Amino acid sequence: MTAQAQPISHAHEGHHPDPREHLMLDPKPRGEMNAMVMEAMHATSWKFWVVAAFLGLVVLICLFGAWGYMIMEGLGVAGVNRPSYWGIFLVNTVFWIGISHAGTFVSALLRVFKAEFRRPFTRAAELMTTFGLVQAGMSIFMHMGRVWLSYWMFPFPNQRQLWTNFHSPLMWDFLAINTYLLASTMYLFLPLIPDLAMARDRSTGWRKALYRILALGFRGTEGEWTHLRHALGIFAFAILPVMFSVHTIVSWDFAVAMRPGWNSTIFGPYFVIGALHSGIAAVAMVLIVVRATMKNMKYFIRPEHFDALGKLMLIVSMAWAYFFFNDYMVQWYGGDKWTDALLHFHEAGPLGWMWFGMLICNVAIPWLTLWNKKVRTTPGLLFTIGLLINVGMWFERYIIVPISLTINRMPFTWREYVPGIEVPLGIGTLAFFILLYMIASKLVPLVPVWEVQEGQMAHSLRKFGKETVVTVSDLE
Amino acid sequence: MTKKLSRREFIKLAGAGAAVTVLTGCGPAARYVRREPYALMPEYNYNGQSTYYATTCRECPAACGLVVRTMQGRAIKVEGNQRNPVNLGKTCARGQASLHGLYNPDRIRNPLKQAGRGSGNFSDLDWEAAIQVVSAALKENRPSEIAFLLGLAPDHLFDLVNDLTKAIGAPAPVRFGALSMFESRVTLSQAAQNLFGKAGLPYFDIGRADLVFSFGANFLETWLSPVAYTRGYSQMRKGQSTRRRGTLIQFEARMSQTGAVADEWIPVRPGTEGLVALALGRLVAEISGAPLPKAFAGVDVAAAAAESGIPEETLHRLAKQYADATNPLAIPGGAALAQSNGLKNAESILALNALAGNLGQPGGLFFSPAAPLPDESHPASLAEMSELIQKLESGQVKALFIHGVNPVFELPKALGFEKALKSVPLVISFATFPDETAMQADYVIPDHHGLESWGYQRALTGAGQPVLSGAQPVVAPYYDTRATADVLLAAAAQAGGKLAEALPFKDEVAYIQSRLLPLVTTPDGPYTAPEINTFLASFQQYGGWWQNGEALTTPVGAPLEKTLAPGVAEAHGKGEFFLLSFVSPVLGEAGANKPWLQEIPDPTTTVMWNSWLEIHPAAADELGLHDDDVVRVVSEAGSVELPVYRYPAIRPDTIAIPFGQGHSAYGRYAQGRGVNPLDLVYPALNEAGDLALAGMKVRLEKTGRKQTLARLESRMGVYGEDEH
Amino acid sequence: MAENTIKIPEFKAEWKEGEAGRWGMVIDTDLCTGCQACVAACAMENNIPFVGETDAAYGRSMHWLRVERFWEGEYPEVRTTDFQPVLCQQCGAAPCEPVCPVFASVHSQAEQINLQVYNRCVGTRYCANNCPYQVRVFNWRDWERPEPLNNQLNPDVTVRRRGIMEKCTFCIQRIHKAEDQAKAEGREVADGEVIPACAQVCPADAIVFGRLDDPESRVSQLAKSKRGVQLLEELGTQPRVTYLKGA
Repeated sequence: MTAQAQPISHAHEGHHPDPREHLMLDPKPRGEMNAMVMEAMHATSWKFWVVAAFLGLVVLICLFGAWGYMIMEGLGVAGVNRPSYWGIFLVNTVFWIGISHAGTFVSALLRVFKAEFRRPFTRAAELMTTFGLVQAGMSIFMHMGRVWLSYWMFPFPNQRQLWTNFHSPLMWDFLAINTYLLASTMYLFLPLIPDLAMARDRSTGWRKALYRILALGFRGTEGEWTHLRHALGIFAFAILPVMFSVHTIVSWDFAVAMRPGWNSTIFGPYFVIGALHSGIAAVAMVLIVVRATMKNMKYFIRPEHFDALGKLMLIVSMAWAYFFFNDYMVQWYGGDKWTDALLHFHEAGPLGWMWFGMLICNVAIPWLTLWNKKVRTTPGLLFTIGLLINVGMWFERYIIVPISLTINRMPFTWREYVPGIEVPLGIGTLAFFILLYMIASKLVPLVPVWEVQEGQMAHSLRKFGKETVVTVSDLE
Repeated sequence: MTKKLSRREFIKLAGAGAAVTVLTGCGPAARYVRREPYALMPEYNYNGQSTYYATTCRECPAACGLVVRTMQGRAIKVEGNQRNPVNLGKTCARGQASLHGLYNPDRIRNPLKQAGRGSGNFSDLDWEAAIQVVSAALKENRPSEIAFLLGLAPDHLFDLVNDLTKAIGAPAPVRFGALSMFESRVTLSQAAQNLFGKAGLPYFDIGRADLVFSFGANFLETWLSPVAYTRGYSQMRKGQSTRRRGTLIQFEARMSQTGAVADEWIPVRPGTEGLVALALGRLVAEISGAPLPKAFAGVDVAAAAAESGIPEETLHRLAKQYADATNPLAIPGGAALAQSNGLKNAESILALNALAGNLGQPGGLFFSPAAPLPDESHPASLAEMSELIQKLESGQVKALFIHGVNPVFELPKALGFEKALKSVPLVISFATFPDETAMQADYVIPDHHGLESWGYQRALTGAGQPVLSGAQPVVAPYYDTRATADVLLAAAAQAGGKLAEALPFKDEVAYIQSRLLPLVTTPDGPYTAPEINTFLASFQQYGGWWQNGEALTTPVGAPLEKTLAPGVAEAHGKGEFFLLSFVSPVLGEAGANKPWLQEIPDPTTTVMWNSWLEIHPAAADELGLHDDDVVRVVSEAGSVELPVYRYPAIRPDTIAIPFGQGHSAYGRYAQGRGVNPLDLVYPALNEAGDLALAGMKVRLEKTGRKQTLARLESRMGVYGEDEH
Repeated sequence: MAENTIKIPEFKAEWKEGEAGRWGMVIDTDLCTGCQACVAACAMENNIPFVGETDAAYGRSMHWLRVERFWEGEYPEVRTTDFQPVLCQQCGAAPCEPVCPVFASVHSQAEQINLQVYNRCVGTRYCANNCPYQVRVFNWRDWERPEPLNNQLNPDVTVRRRGIMEKCTFCIQRIHKAEDQAKAEGREVADGEVIPACAQVCPADAIVFGRLDDPESRVSQLAKSKRGVQLLEELGTQPRVTYLKGA
């Protein structure tokens, strides 16, 4: 519980690096930093509007247009069939929940463990959580045959005593995702309050009005800070089990089912690791984009952060590979003939290239590249690797859902799945995610200024003789 | 569910029948409409109450009895009539789907006149004008210039038309159906005549046999009376306490659905079935130690084995099996008979029964009982059809009436029926659906659907007793159609003279009554009636009339004393493959317009909604053909293009195409779907005048296109080329 | 606990291991000729829509009952396996039931068969994924049924719309009708009085239906046969359909 804040170590002995390459050791005056964040939020080039308009159009057509059409026509316009009753909708659901995972992971877990490098990008990660969950939720609703009755999943009292089935993994899923959405939104909002107050004090017009409401009258008194830190401390601990449970429960949708290849006890941790794999890669990607496109971000987001994220990606990739291997191990000593057929089908079936692609993207590429600091700290390379990992993880979900559904215990019914309207709908969710993120970047301070300042205040450089030593004071 | 008829319902039905006979004054429509104040709510109008009507299935001529569940004037469900001895409460898929014919969205709704044959340019006609057209055609043409072409069902219409043509001295109506052509019924009947001195369809007592050699008889699909024979098969399989489970061995080049349930499938080269039968007969005779009958003396077993492609050991094993069986039975089926040597094949196969001594024995060969009403009809052989076509072509026929058959579709294109129609000044079709023949007619004067019709049908075979299956409307006609019998009667009355004299009936039901009169006094029926009105009520209620006891007759004669030498059939045309066209087990010859039949997978290939070409995988590999590759099949008569199904159970030198699809008309569900294999058939005949359908050779050409067949079965993993 | 507690419905019936169940079916695959009459009868009785060639090719046909067969061996010893009609097995421990979030797939206490409540179904299709027999079919569209084909619809059976799962009901409308009739006449339902459409039509008499909990009934006699097997027995779903295999 009382992990010590670790001083940022020197990179290499004898190399004499400039300690100021670390954000924590490169402080700026409070006013200047605030101004930088405000400027990043305000400075909007025409390119932003072009991209936003394009994404808006994509969302309108691919997401809401196609969805409306599908609601009117029925799911026949999608590619789902017998036996692949679940298709890309569920792939996307799992994928987006995976993306949403990393936000909380980065923010809460690193907060709990007091990893100092987290400070400038917790906000960016938490936003991903919330927006990712929105896409996941939409994907699940798209998948329903009668989405207009989806409120029946809520256990609300009614005259006819119709109740929901708490035995159903889908019900657990529904509750878990809702809980997670609520919790992560609150967790996003809490550390946002001081920054909103900062923004309130530095804006005019509608922004001021908006921030005034959102900042809840935060003035920065000692009492408020104490309350905030206290709440964050509780939340960071509380949301972690929620986060792990969500993806575990998502995995239970599959693991509880009576299907070869799904019915596996390791699916829980396997899904969590998979989620982190894609999620952390996505965080890195988002940071790279944010750094490249927004003003003053090069100050806040530095190669050291990419370096740290790259290491995390490498480690998570190794963990993922372990669980992947485990899947085969379990089958090897379990020996169910249908699972055997299925696992064989994964690599030798018509979509075997996807299986190999997954392994290359998820394992081979991270392992071969991320050990190198140069690679980790080069934004372009890291972005590419992150993208490939996400592609690989999407493949993984695709293999788990429609490809595994292709094979069952009644060989007479085996049939391939060919996506239909799922493709534009999936593109729509991606566009919607980016659009939401873009809008958010203009509405809320993307960098938690107070956290950075807090970190910088705690860090200091002292000289002992010729040696410069980093010292960190404990805050609480 | 067929209810046991309560006394109350009996009275109700009898009452309906009686009412019908009384209320005949206002013309035929009054048969169905009784105008009464609504205060007296008819029973069939109660909410939640079903009314059941017994009638006869018209999807094929087997005369299966139906009980149709109706509710508030709509037919809801077809069920088998448990009393009818032919089907005993069961039906096939086609019978079930007949409601999709009744309520088909593409039915002809009223009389039509077509401006320009084949143009589809129809204008509505009122009934008066329509009857006027028929009447004029009957009156103004010389009797010899009138021709009737009728289907194999319904029988009452044939009887009426037969009376009509007799009265005016016109040629007797010709009856044709694709089923009889595919099954070579004329050949079978002729073979029976040659061996036993009596024509007619034999009755095969499969139910009590313990070993059945079926030479291409697809008796579980469409052959003669499939529901009855399926029941027989079931009884054979079940065995009884005294008898073990019967064995079925199927000899055919392509494994049919019947072959699929057989214990053994023997891929015999097409055209050598008779030879195989003789070789088996010779071996059986040798095993039993009896003197070799003359019939089997002329065959060389080794040569037969070589010709047929069946190893000699297999022949020996099968002969042993046959000799050891208590009640063996040999059945000659369509494909074996539709050969240039088909008649000899039929005789050879039937002779196996005589050898086994099962003539008139349980589990053996019988003659089907004669129908309760005299039958002057027979299915036309292809030779007779060619004759008719020649007459049409030479302009001898001035007016052609067509009912219950779709010859433009059901006859080989090369026979030239469609072309011959051009020489006929007046073609009148009584079609219920806009089929290909109706599209070539000048007038379409639509008959009711079979479930809206009166009538009766003789059971040709399938039951052990004489059966006359009765039909009555189960619902009021949905459209402005009229019974063809009524149209003819009205036209005859209008024409006056000899015609009116010969047919002095108010309407169809009066005619049927007059035909049923002799049955009122025939003993041994399921019910007795003092007079015709009561009789008709029972006839409707029971769904027909049949004798209670078995009336199968024993074939007599000395068939084994006949010299039999079927040899090998000569094949027509050039090419590396025998072409085998078979009637689609699900669609039959006229099921393509019923959407649910289209959606029912073919039993062996599980293909829906289309035609396919069956080819052995090895042969396909040689040609580089994969599943769903479209190939062009070329014969000397024509060519068709259709996708490939790699069929593991077909001889590598044979390809097969189902018959039933390939309509150019016939409603939205049939039109433009699949191909008609008869477009490929060269009209060569066998000795009995039936089409030598199975003795065709064709070649294949790749087209490079692909068309995915809708299969119910999986396409991956467990089958064919996609296996990994 | 308060007296007037609302009783939350349970997803499963109170079945016990090895219990016979109530209504059951026996299918003799040695008798089945694969003629598809059962498929047609089922479609006609239960208002099953047809889907057309494209959707049928893509695995969206609505057959509640399908006849399976496989090819075995190499030419000329090739043969098909026995035709095997596969329909909802009405499992005593049905995998489709616990996974439905809204209780649309439920066990009926009275008939002890598995019911699909069309009105309640929201279309998650989880039940179909979880059905080891793959016998549940989904309404991917509002299937076209042009006038006047609608006249044929059976008023005893709900017509389903898009987005709903459906499956074999053992012709429950016929069970109810026979039970009502028997009740009105103050007697028990006799063996053979309830016949689902498939069993009724079967020309080979391969399908037998009746009460499994009546040891005298034809179906329970047949189910005890040595030839009797159940599909995927190893899953412990306790199917109420027994197949008689072999000669």
